[in-house]
Amino acid sequence: MTMVPQGAGPVAGRSGGGNTSSLYDVLELILDRGLVIDAFVRVSVVGIELLKIDARIVVASVDTYLRFAEACNRLDLEAGPNAPATLPDVVGKTLEGGSKGKAKGALSGALEAVTQSLTGGRDEDEEEADEDEYEEPAEEDEAEGDEAEEDEAEAEAEEAEDDEGPEPEPEPAPRRRRSSRRPVQRERG
Amino acid sequence: MAVHVYAVTLRDHPCRVEDLTGVGGDGTPVRVLAAGGLKAVVSDCAEDLRPKRRDVAAHQAVLERLMADGTPLPVRFGYTAAGDDSVREVVTAQADVHLAALARVRDCAEYNVKAWREQDLLLREILDESPRARRLNREILAGASDPRLPLELGQLVAAEVQFRHTRASGELIQALVPLARAHVVHPPVGEDFLNLSLLVPRDDGGPLLAEHARLARDGGAGVHTRVAGPLPPYSFVP
Repeated sequence: MTMVPQGAGPVAGRSGGGNTSSLYDVLELILDRGLVIDAFVRVSVVGIELLKIDARIVVASVDTYLRFAEACNRLDLEAGPNAPATLPDVVGKTLEGGSKGKAKGALSGALEAVTQSLTGGRDEDEEEADEDEYEEPAEEDEAEGDEAEEDEAEAEAEEAEDDEGPEPEPEPAPRRRRSSRRPVQRERG
Repeated sequence: MAVHVYAVTLRDHPCRVEDLTGVGGDGTPVRVLAAGGLKAVVSDCAEDLRPKRRDVAAHQAVLERLMADGTPLPVRFGYTAAGDDSVREVVTAQADVHLAALARVRDCAEYNVKAWREQDLLLREILDESPRARRLNREILAGASDPRLPLELGQLVAAEVQFRHTRASGELIQALVPLARAHVVHPPVGEDFLNLSLLVPRDDGGPLLAEHARLARDGGAGVHTRVAGPLPPYSFVP
Protein backbone atom coordinates (compact mmCIF):
# COMPACT_ATOMS: atom_id res chain seq x y z
CA MET A 1 0.00 0.00 0.00
CA THR A 2 1.46 3.30 -0.98
CA MET A 3 0.57 6.75 0.10
CA VAL A 4 0.42 9.34 -2.58
CA PRO A 5 0.25 12.76 -1.01
CA GLN A 6 -1.13 15.43 -3.25
CA GLY A 7 1.97 16.76 -4.92
CA ALA A 8 2.80 20.23 -3.75
CA GLY A 9 -0.67 20.68 -2.31
CA PRO A 10 -1.40 22.12 1.10
CA VAL A 11 -0.71 18.80 2.75
CA ALA A 12 2.96 19.36 2.16
CA GLY A 13 2.97 23.04 2.92
CA ARG A 14 0.06 24.78 4.53
CA SER A 15 0.72 28.09 2.89
CA GLY A 16 -2.73 28.02 1.35
CA GLY A 17 -1.49 29.18 -2.00
CA GLY A 18 -2.53 27.86 -5.39
CA ASN A 19 -3.24 24.18 -5.30
CA THR A 20 -3.40 23.33 -8.94
CA SER A 21 -1.35 20.15 -8.64
CA SER A 22 -4.25 18.43 -6.94
CA LEU A 23 -6.93 20.19 -8.95
CA TYR A 24 -7.84 17.01 -10.74
CA ASP A 25 -8.54 15.23 -7.49
CA VAL A 26 -10.68 18.01 -6.09
CA LEU A 27 -12.37 18.95 -9.34
CA GLU A 28 -15.56 17.12 -8.57
CA LEU A 29 -15.75 18.77 -5.15
CA ILE A 30 -15.47 22.22 -6.69
CA LEU A 31 -17.98 21.43 -9.42
CA ASP A 32 -20.47 19.25 -7.56
CA ARG A 33 -20.26 20.39 -3.93
CA GLY A 34 -20.22 23.73 -2.22
CA LEU A 35 -22.93 26.15 -1.29
CA VAL A 36 -25.83 26.33 -3.73
CA ILE A 37 -27.70 29.61 -3.81
CA ASP A 38 -30.90 29.04 -5.72
CA ALA A 39 -31.43 32.68 -6.50
CA PHE A 40 -28.21 32.75 -8.51
CA VAL A 41 -27.78 31.43 -12.02
CA ARG A 42 -25.34 28.66 -12.70
CA VAL A 43 -23.21 28.90 -15.80
CA SER A 44 -22.89 25.75 -17.85
CA VAL A 45 -19.96 23.66 -16.71
CA VAL A 46 -20.62 20.91 -19.19
CA GLY A 47 -17.28 21.27 -20.95
CA ILE A 48 -15.40 20.87 -17.72
CA GLU A 49 -17.53 18.07 -16.38
CA LEU A 50 -17.05 16.02 -19.50
CA LEU A 51 -13.47 15.46 -18.55
CA LYS A 52 -14.61 13.76 -15.40
CA ILE A 53 -17.44 11.85 -16.98
CA ASP A 54 -15.03 10.42 -19.51
CA ALA A 55 -13.07 8.91 -16.69
CA ARG A 56 -16.07 7.09 -15.30
CA ILE A 57 -16.09 3.56 -16.53
CA VAL A 58 -19.25 1.54 -16.71
CA VAL A 59 -18.24 -1.58 -14.87
CA ALA A 60 -21.25 -3.68 -15.78
CA SER A 61 -20.87 -3.96 -19.54
CA VAL A 62 -19.94 -6.71 -21.93
CA ASP A 63 -16.81 -4.90 -23.00
CA THR A 64 -15.65 -4.52 -19.44
CA TYR A 65 -16.28 -8.21 -18.83
CA LEU A 66 -14.15 -9.07 -21.83
CA ARG A 67 -11.41 -6.75 -20.67
CA PHE A 68 -11.41 -8.32 -17.23
CA ALA A 69 -11.22 -11.77 -18.78
CA GLU A 70 -8.30 -10.69 -20.96
CA ALA A 71 -6.53 -9.17 -18.00
CA CYS A 72 -6.93 -12.46 -16.11
CA ASN A 73 -5.64 -14.44 -19.06
CA ARG A 74 -2.52 -12.31 -19.13
CA LEU A 75 -1.57 -12.93 -15.52
CA ASP A 76 1.07 -15.52 -14.97
CA LEU A 77 -0.44 -17.47 -12.14
CA GLU A 78 2.39 -19.94 -11.71
CA ALA A 79 4.67 -17.16 -10.63
CA GLY A 80 3.87 -14.91 -7.70
CA PRO A 81 3.48 -11.21 -8.32
CA ASN A 82 7.15 -10.67 -7.56
CA ALA A 83 8.57 -13.77 -9.16
CA PRO A 84 10.98 -13.36 -12.07
CA ALA A 85 9.03 -12.90 -15.24
CA THR A 86 8.86 -15.65 -17.78
CA LEU A 87 8.78 -14.73 -21.42
CA PRO A 88 5.01 -14.76 -21.89
CA ASP A 89 4.71 -12.64 -18.78
CA VAL A 90 7.21 -10.13 -20.05
CA VAL A 91 5.19 -9.81 -23.20
CA GLY A 92 2.04 -9.53 -21.14
CA LYS A 93 3.51 -6.74 -19.10
CA THR A 94 4.59 -4.98 -22.21
CA LEU A 95 1.08 -5.27 -23.52
CA GLU A 96 -0.41 -3.71 -20.46
CA GLY A 97 2.40 -1.26 -20.07
CA GLY A 98 2.97 1.88 -22.00
CA SER A 99 1.44 5.09 -20.84
CA LYS A 100 -1.39 3.47 -18.91
CA GLY A 101 0.69 1.60 -16.42
CA LYS A 102 0.20 -2.06 -15.92
CA ALA A 103 -1.95 -1.69 -12.86
CA LYS A 104 -4.77 0.02 -14.67
CA GLY A 105 -4.95 -2.07 -17.78
CA ALA A 106 -8.43 -3.44 -18.13
CA LEU A 107 -10.39 -0.52 -16.80
CA SER A 108 -8.55 2.04 -18.86
CA GLY A 109 -8.98 -0.25 -21.76
CA ALA A 110 -12.74 -0.33 -21.44
CA LEU A 111 -13.24 2.76 -23.56
CA GLU A 112 -10.88 1.37 -26.12
CA ALA A 113 -12.92 -1.81 -26.12
CA VAL A 114 -16.07 0.13 -26.78
CA THR A 115 -14.40 1.77 -29.75
CA GLN A 116 -13.17 -1.56 -30.99
CA SER A 117 -16.54 -3.21 -30.70
CA LEU A 118 -18.08 -0.35 -32.61
CA THR A 119 -15.57 -0.50 -35.40
CA GLY A 120 -15.56 -4.20 -36.08
CA GLY A 121 -15.55 -7.76 -34.87
CA ARG A 122 -13.07 -8.49 -32.16
CA ASP A 123 -11.98 -12.00 -32.93
CA GLU A 124 -10.69 -11.73 -36.43
CA ASP A 125 -9.20 -8.31 -36.09
CA GLU A 126 -7.77 -8.96 -32.73
CA GLU A 127 -4.33 -10.12 -33.56
CA GLU A 128 -3.71 -7.33 -35.96
CA ALA A 129 -5.03 -4.82 -33.48
CA ASP A 130 -2.79 -6.23 -30.80
CA GLU A 131 0.23 -5.83 -32.97
CA ASP A 132 -0.47 -2.26 -33.84
CA GLU A 133 -1.36 -1.33 -30.37
CA TYR A 134 1.56 -2.86 -28.61
CA GLU A 135 4.42 -2.51 -30.95
CA GLU A 136 5.36 0.89 -29.72
CA PRO A 137 5.45 0.24 -25.98
CA ALA A 138 7.58 -2.81 -26.71
CA GLU A 139 10.18 -0.62 -28.33
CA GLU A 140 10.12 1.75 -25.43
CA ASP A 141 10.82 -1.09 -23.06
CA GLU A 142 13.78 -2.09 -25.08
CA ALA A 143 15.20 1.36 -24.87
CA GLU A 144 14.77 1.32 -21.14
CA GLY A 145 16.89 -1.76 -20.76
CA ASP A 146 14.35 -4.49 -20.29
CA GLU A 147 16.26 -6.46 -22.86
CA ALA A 148 18.39 -8.16 -20.29
CA GLU A 149 15.39 -9.33 -18.36
CA GLU A 150 13.89 -10.80 -21.46
CA ASP A 151 17.05 -12.58 -22.48
CA GLU A 152 17.22 -14.15 -19.09
CA ALA A 153 13.64 -15.20 -19.36
CA GLU A 154 14.21 -16.63 -22.78
CA ALA A 155 17.17 -18.59 -21.55
CA GLU A 156 15.06 -20.04 -18.80
CA ALA A 157 12.31 -20.98 -21.15
CA GLU A 158 14.77 -22.64 -23.42
CA GLU A 159 16.33 -24.72 -20.70
CA ALA A 160 12.94 -25.94 -19.71
CA GLU A 161 12.18 -26.88 -23.26
CA ASP A 162 15.03 -29.04 -24.42
CA ASP A 163 18.04 -28.26 -22.32
CA GLU A 164 19.99 -26.60 -25.08
CA GLY A 165 21.71 -24.35 -22.62
CA PRO A 166 21.73 -20.57 -22.73
CA GLU A 167 22.64 -18.66 -25.85
CA PRO A 168 26.27 -17.62 -25.90
CA GLU A 169 25.49 -14.06 -26.98
CA PRO A 170 22.48 -12.01 -26.02
CA GLU A 171 20.36 -11.81 -29.09
CA PRO A 172 19.68 -8.27 -30.27
CA ALA A 173 16.03 -9.13 -29.64
CA PRO A 174 14.24 -8.75 -32.91
CA ARG A 175 10.68 -8.15 -31.87
CA ARG A 176 8.34 -10.82 -32.97
CA ARG A 177 4.84 -9.72 -33.56
CA ARG A 178 2.58 -12.06 -31.80
CA SER A 179 -0.45 -12.10 -29.61
CA SER A 180 0.42 -12.67 -25.99
CA ARG A 181 -2.17 -15.34 -25.55
CA ARG A 182 -0.74 -17.95 -27.77
CA PRO A 183 1.97 -20.24 -26.52
CA VAL A 184 5.28 -18.85 -27.64
CA GLN A 185 6.83 -20.60 -30.58
CA ARG A 186 10.54 -20.59 -30.94
CA GLU A 187 11.91 -19.04 -34.07
CA ARG A 188 15.53 -19.70 -33.38
CA GLY A 189 16.98 -22.89 -34.72
CA MET B 1 -22.03 42.64 -16.25
CA ALA B 2 -22.70 39.57 -14.08
CA VAL B 3 -20.78 38.75 -10.92
CA HIS B 4 -19.31 35.38 -10.08
CA VAL B 5 -19.68 34.40 -6.43
CA TYR B 6 -16.86 32.54 -4.68
CA ALA B 7 -17.67 32.43 -1.01
CA VAL B 8 -19.60 33.77 1.93
CA THR B 9 -17.67 34.61 5.09
CA LEU B 10 -18.24 36.09 8.51
CA ARG B 11 -18.06 39.87 8.64
CA ASP B 12 -14.84 39.82 10.67
CA HIS B 13 -12.98 37.74 8.05
CA PRO B 14 -10.12 39.85 6.59
CA CYS B 15 -10.76 38.53 3.05
CA ARG B 16 -7.29 39.35 1.76
CA VAL B 17 -8.07 38.71 -1.88
CA GLU B 18 -7.22 42.07 -3.51
CA ASP B 19 -4.24 40.69 -5.42
CA LEU B 20 -6.14 37.73 -6.86
CA THR B 21 -7.81 37.64 -10.24
CA GLY B 22 -11.13 35.99 -10.84
CA VAL B 23 -12.70 33.72 -13.40
CA GLY B 24 -12.73 34.66 -17.06
CA GLY B 25 -8.99 34.84 -17.61
CA ASP B 26 -9.03 38.59 -18.27
CA GLY B 27 -7.42 39.73 -15.03
CA THR B 28 -10.64 40.88 -13.37
CA PRO B 29 -9.91 41.56 -9.70
CA VAL B 30 -11.66 39.72 -6.89
CA ARG B 31 -13.78 42.01 -4.66
CA VAL B 32 -15.53 41.81 -1.31
CA LEU B 33 -19.11 42.92 -0.66
CA ALA B 34 -20.53 43.54 2.79
CA ALA B 35 -23.91 41.85 3.02
CA GLY B 36 -25.69 42.23 6.33
CA GLY B 37 -23.60 40.49 8.98
CA LEU B 38 -21.65 38.66 6.31
CA LYS B 39 -19.31 39.21 3.40
CA ALA B 40 -19.58 37.87 -0.12
CA VAL B 41 -16.47 37.41 -2.26
CA VAL B 42 -17.15 38.10 -5.94
CA SER B 43 -15.65 39.22 -9.24
CA ASP B 44 -17.18 40.67 -12.38
CA CYS B 45 -17.61 38.26 -15.24
CA ALA B 46 -19.20 38.07 -18.66
CA GLU B 47 -22.89 37.20 -18.78
CA ASP B 48 -22.12 34.33 -21.11
CA LEU B 49 -19.08 33.05 -19.24
CA ARG B 50 -18.01 29.69 -20.62
CA PRO B 51 -15.76 28.43 -17.89
CA LYS B 52 -12.61 26.43 -18.39
CA ARG B 53 -10.31 24.57 -16.07
CA ARG B 54 -8.26 27.70 -15.51
CA ASP B 55 -11.42 29.26 -14.05
CA VAL B 56 -11.93 26.34 -11.72
CA ALA B 57 -8.35 26.86 -10.58
CA ALA B 58 -9.04 30.59 -10.05
CA HIS B 59 -12.09 29.73 -7.95
CA GLN B 60 -10.08 27.30 -5.89
CA ALA B 61 -7.25 29.82 -5.43
CA VAL B 62 -9.65 32.41 -3.99
CA LEU B 63 -11.02 29.86 -1.54
CA GLU B 64 -7.58 28.65 -0.52
CA ARG B 65 -6.63 32.24 0.23
CA LEU B 66 -9.74 32.74 2.34
CA MET B 67 -9.04 29.48 4.19
CA ALA B 68 -5.81 30.96 5.51
CA ASP B 69 -7.71 33.42 7.73
CA GLY B 70 -10.82 31.49 8.68
CA THR B 71 -13.06 28.89 7.12
CA PRO B 72 -15.42 30.37 4.52
CA LEU B 73 -18.54 28.87 2.98
CA PRO B 74 -17.38 27.87 -0.48
CA VAL B 75 -19.99 28.51 -3.14
CA ARG B 76 -20.23 25.79 -5.76
CA PHE B 77 -18.29 26.76 -8.86
CA GLY B 78 -20.12 28.66 -11.55
CA TYR B 79 -22.86 30.56 -9.70
CA THR B 80 -23.39 34.07 -10.97
CA ALA B 81 -25.72 36.87 -9.95
CA ALA B 82 -27.00 39.80 -11.97
CA GLY B 83 -24.98 42.32 -9.98
CA ASP B 84 -23.65 43.40 -6.58
CA ASP B 85 -27.07 44.41 -5.32
CA SER B 86 -28.50 41.04 -6.15
CA VAL B 87 -25.72 39.31 -4.22
CA ARG B 88 -26.16 41.56 -1.18
CA GLU B 89 -29.89 41.03 -1.22
CA VAL B 90 -29.79 37.24 -1.47
CA VAL B 91 -26.97 36.73 1.02
CA THR B 92 -28.62 39.05 3.51
CA ALA B 93 -31.96 37.33 3.12
CA GLN B 94 -30.40 33.95 3.84
CA ALA B 95 -28.07 35.22 6.57
CA ASP B 96 -29.42 32.83 9.21
CA VAL B 97 -28.76 29.80 7.07
CA HIS B 98 -25.27 31.02 6.21
CA LEU B 99 -24.40 31.85 9.81
CA ALA B 100 -25.51 28.40 10.95
CA ALA B 101 -23.47 26.78 8.18
CA LEU B 102 -20.43 28.89 9.06
CA ALA B 103 -20.76 27.82 12.69
CA ARG B 104 -20.72 24.16 11.66
CA VAL B 105 -17.48 24.46 9.68
CA ARG B 106 -15.82 27.01 11.94
CA ASP B 107 -12.11 26.26 12.39
CA CYS B 108 -12.47 23.15 10.28
CA ALA B 109 -11.17 22.03 6.92
CA GLU B 110 -12.13 19.27 4.55
CA TYR B 111 -9.82 16.38 3.76
CA ASN B 112 -10.70 14.27 0.77
CA VAL B 113 -9.41 10.72 0.70
CA LYS B 114 -9.46 8.62 -2.43
CA ALA B 115 -8.31 5.04 -2.84
CA TRP B 116 -7.72 2.68 -5.72
CA ARG B 117 -6.31 -0.78 -6.02
CA GLU B 118 -3.71 -2.17 -8.39
CA GLN B 119 -5.62 -4.27 -10.82
CA ASP B 120 -3.08 -7.05 -11.26
CA LEU B 121 -2.90 -7.77 -7.57
CA LEU B 122 -6.66 -7.64 -7.25
CA LEU B 123 -7.17 -10.06 -10.14
CA ARG B 124 -4.56 -12.42 -8.73
CA GLU B 125 -6.36 -12.41 -5.43
CA ILE B 126 -9.67 -13.17 -7.12
CA LEU B 127 -8.24 -16.04 -9.17
CA ASP B 128 -6.57 -17.28 -6.04
CA GLU B 129 -9.75 -17.37 -4.04
CA SER B 130 -12.31 -18.33 -6.66
CA PRO B 131 -12.03 -21.87 -8.03
CA ARG B 132 -14.62 -21.07 -10.66
CA ALA B 133 -12.70 -18.08 -11.98
CA ARG B 134 -9.53 -20.15 -11.98
CA ARG B 135 -11.19 -22.94 -13.93
CA LEU B 136 -12.63 -20.55 -16.52
CA ASN B 137 -9.28 -18.83 -16.90
CA ARG B 138 -7.56 -22.16 -17.41
CA GLU B 139 -10.06 -23.29 -20.01
CA ILE B 140 -9.66 -20.08 -21.99
CA LEU B 141 -5.88 -20.29 -21.86
CA ALA B 142 -6.06 -23.91 -22.98
CA GLY B 143 -7.73 -22.66 -26.13
CA ALA B 144 -11.43 -23.26 -25.45
CA SER B 145 -13.23 -21.45 -28.22
CA ASP B 146 -16.64 -20.98 -26.59
CA PRO B 147 -17.12 -17.19 -26.63
CA ARG B 148 -19.27 -17.41 -23.52
CA LEU B 149 -16.30 -18.38 -21.37
CA PRO B 150 -14.54 -15.00 -21.38
CA LEU B 151 -17.87 -13.32 -20.78
CA GLU B 152 -18.62 -15.57 -17.84
CA LEU B 153 -15.14 -15.08 -16.42
CA GLY B 154 -15.32 -11.33 -16.88
CA GLN B 155 -18.72 -11.08 -15.27
CA LEU B 156 -17.62 -13.16 -12.32
CA VAL B 157 -14.47 -11.10 -11.92
CA ALA B 158 -16.35 -7.80 -12.24
CA ALA B 159 -18.70 -8.86 -9.42
CA GLU B 160 -15.73 -9.90 -7.28
CA VAL B 161 -14.00 -6.60 -7.98
CA GLN B 162 -17.12 -4.74 -6.90
CA PHE B 163 -17.44 -6.82 -3.75
CA ARG B 164 -13.81 -6.36 -2.80
CA HIS B 165 -13.90 -2.63 -3.49
CA THR B 166 -16.95 -2.25 -1.28
CA ARG B 167 -15.26 -4.18 1.48
CA ALA B 168 -12.00 -2.24 1.26
CA SER B 169 -13.88 1.02 1.14
CA GLY B 170 -15.80 0.06 4.27
CA GLU B 171 -12.59 -0.70 6.10
CA LEU B 172 -11.01 2.63 5.19
CA ILE B 173 -14.14 4.54 6.16
CA GLN B 174 -14.25 2.76 9.49
CA ALA B 175 -10.63 3.63 10.19
CA LEU B 176 -10.81 7.30 9.21
CA VAL B 177 -14.25 8.51 10.24
CA PRO B 178 -13.57 8.43 14.01
CA LEU B 179 -10.92 11.10 13.41
CA ALA B 180 -13.36 13.52 11.83
CA ARG B 181 -16.11 15.76 13.08
CA ALA B 182 -18.30 14.85 10.11
CA HIS B 183 -17.95 12.85 6.94
CA VAL B 184 -19.54 12.38 3.54
CA VAL B 185 -19.03 9.41 1.24
CA HIS B 186 -19.09 10.57 -2.38
CA PRO B 187 -19.43 8.32 -5.42
CA PRO B 188 -15.95 7.22 -6.46
CA VAL B 189 -14.57 8.74 -9.66
CA GLY B 190 -12.80 6.81 -12.40
CA GLU B 191 -10.90 3.82 -11.10
CA ASP B 192 -11.05 4.83 -7.47
CA PHE B 193 -13.14 2.72 -5.14
CA LEU B 194 -13.30 5.31 -2.36
CA ASN B 195 -14.09 9.01 -2.34
CA LEU B 196 -14.46 10.13 1.24
CA SER B 197 -14.62 13.67 2.57
CA LEU B 198 -13.87 14.35 6.21
CA LEU B 199 -14.41 17.51 8.21
CA VAL B 200 -11.48 17.92 10.56
CA PRO B 201 -10.46 20.72 12.96
CA ARG B 202 -8.11 22.76 10.82
CA ASP B 203 -5.14 22.75 13.11
CA ASP B 204 -5.62 19.13 13.86
CA GLY B 205 -5.17 17.31 10.59
CA GLY B 206 -2.19 15.49 12.13
CA PRO B 207 -4.01 12.42 13.47
CA LEU B 208 -5.83 12.00 10.18
CA LEU B 209 -2.64 12.21 8.17
CA ALA B 210 -0.91 9.88 10.65
CA GLU B 211 -3.70 7.32 10.32
CA HIS B 212 -3.55 7.73 6.59
CA ALA B 213 0.17 7.08 6.67
CA ARG B 214 -0.40 4.02 8.85
CA LEU B 215 -2.97 2.68 6.41
CA ALA B 216 -0.56 3.42 3.59
CA ARG B 217 2.11 1.24 5.17
CA ASP B 218 -0.08 -1.79 5.71
CA GLY B 219 -0.50 -4.69 3.44
CA GLY B 220 0.98 -5.40 0.06
CA ALA B 221 -2.53 -5.81 -1.27
CA GLY B 222 -1.93 -3.04 -3.77
CA VAL B 223 -4.28 -0.54 -2.19
CA HIS B 224 -3.20 3.06 -2.78
CA THR B 225 -4.73 6.04 -1.08
CA ARG B 226 -4.24 9.74 -1.63
CA VAL B 227 -5.39 12.57 0.52
CA ALA B 228 -6.09 16.16 -0.46
CA GLY B 229 -6.39 18.82 2.19
CA PRO B 230 -6.84 20.97 4.07
CA LEU B 231 -9.50 22.13 1.61
CA PRO B 232 -12.38 24.56 1.88
CA PRO B 233 -15.33 22.57 3.25
CA TYR B 234 -17.06 21.99 -0.08
CA SER B 235 -18.82 18.87 1.13
CA PHE B 236 -20.08 20.33 4.39
CA VAL B 237 -22.22 23.26 3.36
CA PRO B 238 -25.93 23.33 2.55
